[in-house]
Amino acid sequence: MSVEARLTRDASEPEDAAIFSAFTLTATFWLLLATAVGLLLSFKFPYPDLATSPFLSFGRLRAIHTNDTFYGWASIALVGTAIYVAARTSGVAIVGKRLAWLSLLCFNVAAVAGTVALDLGFNDGDQEYREWLLPIKLIFLLAVALAGTTIVRTVAHRIDREIYISNWYTIGAFICTLILSLVAVVPWYQVGLGQVAVQGFFMHNAVGMWFTLLALGVTYYALPKTLNRPIYSYALGVLGFWTNLIFYPIIGAHHFEFSPLPWWFQTLAIVFSVGMLVPVWSGSANFFLTMRGHWETIRRSYSLPFIAVGVAYYFLGSTQGTVEAFRSLQTIWHFTNYTIGHSHATMYGFVTFIAWGVIYALLPRATGKQPNALFTGLHFWFATIGVTFYVLSLSVAGTLQGMTWAQGDPFIASVDAAAPYWAGRAVAGTLMFLAHVVFAYNVWLMTLGGSNEGGNYEASARKAVTP
Amino acid sequence: MNRGMNNVWALIAAITLIYGTLAIAMGTIPGIVLSSTPPTPGKHPYSEAAQRGRAIYVSEGCEYCHTQNVRPLKQDAVFGRASVAGDYAYDTPELLGDHRNGPDLTNIGNRQSSAVWQYIHLYDPRSVVHDSIMPRYPWLFEVKAKADPGDVTVVLPPGFAPPGGVVVAKQSAQDLVRYLSELKQVPLGKAPTP
Repeated sequence: MSVEARLTRDASEPEDAAIFSAFTLTATFWLLLATAVGLLLSFKFPYPDLATSPFLSFGRLRAIHTNDTFYGWASIALVGTAIYVAARTSGVAIVGKRLAWLSLLCFNVAAVAGTVALDLGFNDGDQEYREWLLPIKLIFLLAVALAGTTIVRTVAHRIDREIYISNWYTIGAFICTLILSLVAVVPWYQVGLGQVAVQGFFMHNAVGMWFTLLALGVTYYALPKTLNRPIYSYALGVLGFWTNLIFYPIIGAHHFEFSPLPWWFQTLAIVFSVGMLVPVWSGSANFFLTMRGHWETIRRSYSLPFIAVGVAYYFLGSTQGTVEAFRSLQTIWHFTNYTIGHSHATMYGFVTFIAWGVIYALLPRATGKQPNALFTGLHFWFATIGVTFYVLSLSVAGTLQGMTWAQGDPFIASVDAAAPYWAGRAVAGTLMFLAHVVFAYNVWLMTLGGSNEGGNYEASARKAVTP
Repeated sequence: MNRGMNNVWALIAAITLIYGTLAIAMGTIPGIVLSSTPPTPGKHPYSEAAQRGRAIYVSEGCEYCHTQNVRPLKQDAVFGRASVAGDYAYDTPELLGDHRNGPDLTNIGNRQSSAVWQYIHLYDPRSVVHDSIMPRYPWLFEVKAKADPGDVTVVLPPGFAPPGGVVVAKQSAQDLVRYLSELKQVPLGKAPTP
């Protein structure tokens, strides 16, 4: 069967749509909660006395913001789309629906328990992105295993001989994350500096083997599907997959440059950070070459502008990550807000935008209900302007912090230098949060709330005037 | 209808083999090897009170703004000597951190040895550092009408004291300050103390 034929196949399985809807709805709840928390945190920089309470303090809410963004919003949203994509690319209904529902339950139980525990001050040693207590982590991993099983079983029942490239990426994400978690979760061998080494490995791989692989995987389906043309190069996709798999595990130590970790270990991480340009550039080039010459279609689409911004931030944010790994630049940027800008360029500009684009592309196809055109436009512009302003503000703030330190100024000079840009970040964050409220309304319209009398999705999407 | 399972297994096996090998090489083995790093000569385990204080430090997420990692760079010299591997032998969970919204605390016990200052600063950072953005931690203290014998009272600068009472450090604040006081680098190149 040709690629074109495979891509135009569509679903009419109501329970598949229900599963996809349920994942998206709960993910959206976590997006709202995590970013409401993030917004409060951003206002604590200009107003440090705001909401002085143990349950609303910076040190506890920061972990809630990051973990709920990672494991509530982005994980649930991308797993939901990945399951749906596995079924569509395989030409069958989701196989193992019961496991998919159970997985969704476990994801949400873990996120609720994790949030409550962190807010009460129970965490697993401030280890970034693995702060949840061990039993909560295990519930999350059970959810990952169940969803992964669903996808593998669905792909095994495919009607084509080949496994579509999307499923390479998503199956890879599940296997690597389970292996990675096994290494990170087992506590017995992690003492002192040994734990630092594992932490460097874990925190970067959690991003690169889970979110990156899932986001790229679903893009390999949603982009050609929505553009109604095949992906530019299957081979580039395969190259990106294997190089991501091999280079990513080696770059973790670049989070601990100039630390007492062995110097050669840090150098190795920097070398392979440069190597990461291969999967990043081959992946983003592949998507851009698929989009080339179809900008008018993209402009008129609900979903494609989000995917285009997501791919642009994948390219920019990941290339920035390579540059940041150089020791010369780490001397200025390490420990500063520059890295928070970087993490929002990638987890928000890339991963979150891809999740939105893919949801807008596929959810209406599954449910037959469409988002509001005006609101989709508002969502897009609030989020795009918001995140760009956010990243720029913190890049400037971080650079100024690093320069005051290099000049040997008293520490408080770095706080004073960054202060105006922290205010700018709070404004940007407000805009981003507004975008999420609008998105939540659209999700409501695409699932429980809207009517499916709107007729053909593509036709009305083309008619709609989106900015 | 499982004709596709063979290819799926091949894909799963290839990914597991490659990533599993790299995960062991880059995560597990460095973790095991570095976990047996001997302590820097002269470095002692924390006292029991300091261990409890360390748990408060973890619980309140102090690490998100304060590093404990002095780099071998000119701009870090103000925080102490460059950290070495053995400095972390008693530090599990590790608290190196990757963010400095506030200063590094590796050597804070030497750099700011006054417990009085630490209490005042924890109760209201802006009472001693005007532009500080650190949160206040009033829940580590209680306000009493009158201090009891044995209470650790905190005398705040005018304008920062709560009306109608004295501020008394709870056990949690005392433990935390004890931990901060034990964050001291040992000089390198000296014989271990007996």
